[in-house]
Amino acid sequence: MFALRGIAVSLTFFFLLYCLLSALVAVAWRSLRWLHATEQSLAGLLFALRVLPLAASVVITFVFVVPSFQLLEPRSIDEGMGIMPPALGICALLLIACGCFRVIAAQTTTSRVVARWLEGAHPLNVDAADQADTQTVTFRSRRETPPLTLVGVSKPRVLVSESTVALLSHDELHIALKHELAHMQSRDNLKKLAFRFCPFPGMAKLESAWSQTAELAADDAAVSNLDDAVDLAAALVKLSRLVPVEAAPVCTVGFVTGSISARVARLLAWDEAGKAQPMRIRAWCVIPPVVVVLLCVFVTYGPALALTHEVTEWLVR
Amino acid sequence: MTKAFSIFGSRPQLGPFEQQVLQKLWSHGSATVRELLADGKIHQAYTTVMTTVDRLYKKGLLDRVAEGRAFRYTPRHAPEELQRATALESIRQLLGSGDASSLPLSYLVEALSTHDAQLLDELQLLVERKRRELQSREKKGREER
Repeated sequence: MFALRGIAVSLTFFFLLYCLLSALVAVAWRSLRWLHATEQSLAGLLFALRVLPLAASVVITFVFVVPSFQLLEPRSIDEGMGIMPPALGICALLLIACGCFRVIAAQTTTSRVVARWLEGAHPLNVDAADQADTQTVTFRSRRETPPLTLVGVSKPRVLVSESTVALLSHDELHIALKHELAHMQSRDNLKKLAFRFCPFPGMAKLESAWSQTAELAADDAAVSNLDDAVDLAAALVKLSRLVPVEAAPVCTVGFVTGSISARVARLLAWDEAGKAQPMRIRAWCVIPPVVVVLLCVFVTYGPALALTHEVTEWLVR
Repeated sequence: MTKAFSIFGSRPQLGPFEQQVLQKLWSHGSATVRELLADGKIHQAYTTVMTTVDRLYKKGLLDRVAEGRAFRYTPRHAPEELQRATALESIRQLLGSGDASSLPLSYLVEALSTHDAQLLDELQLLVERKRRELQSREKKGREER
């Protein structure tokens, strides 16, 4: 009974915190538009915000709720439990099961579709692909296949259709591949899968904003001068005419994604001086706040456990 | 917005003069009939303008408050809202017309495809222009050297 109560209370706490944080994120993420940062930094921030509710709920549950219950709850007392903890505990389990199901479904669908695309595929020798440690393959073009796309999470591959190879010039193909490789280096397919694991209504706009920003970040990563920018814009316009009507599966990042006119306009206005202007948020910027939070947790851990226990007691009743 | 939708359902189009008056009201924010005529850009009689604003009010596109012996009219919706409502109503009417339900949708897809193709043509022209500009700049640089 003690263990069961502990599990129910932890799951209840996790579920309530997850819903609260998700609702806050769904409303507050738009304030990021005022931030003048590079597209790469913005994409990183949007991703962090999207997964923050799940990550924070898991960490707080394991760091505070579980220890507070184990240390401060007297084991001898056979305390009764209200209806809320089991009900919300079941909701939490359903949420986790739903997340797992969405991830498995996305992976299965992607694998099935990609296997179909890869029938008769063969490796492509392009210097951009050789530079990165990835496998780039061409495949026979069919009506439903995308012209250029990155597939897979653990073993990513760039798929290029034969019509893409025929349509694009050497420079255009090279820069388009670099764009896809930039997606691979930022692990965008894994990030998409992570979104599937944390379902919450009202997050579609945040995910779409991340997708748009990730495209712009990949454009920036691929382009290093105006010639590259024009080649990438040309490739984008040419491949837009080949895009199939059918939606691509989750674990893929297509080259022709987002607002094409906005991307082309941005690329044509590309200038080397302008690229350095927006603020770039480096990974090490996160270290000081994390250290401060860890110190605060270390100093106030005892009182925080007592407070958490009080809250969980209130939940049980 | 709901009222605008229902009104568009029965009368989706605005006449040219109604549109002109509505544009004027959007630029003013709010105005009486006399104020609309004051800058001399509307060449119609006072009574014609009064009838038109009254018709727009009855269509649910304007709000009005009494000001002395006249009314002050304010547009009920922003231009973008009205444009969106008109577009939605047109699409709804298109999808509702015809015996074969899939036929109007196919017209829409065709229209969108044509629009997309035009947009891509325009983008292609922009890219080509930029490429020519780059090539001529490169050529000039080589000649100077």
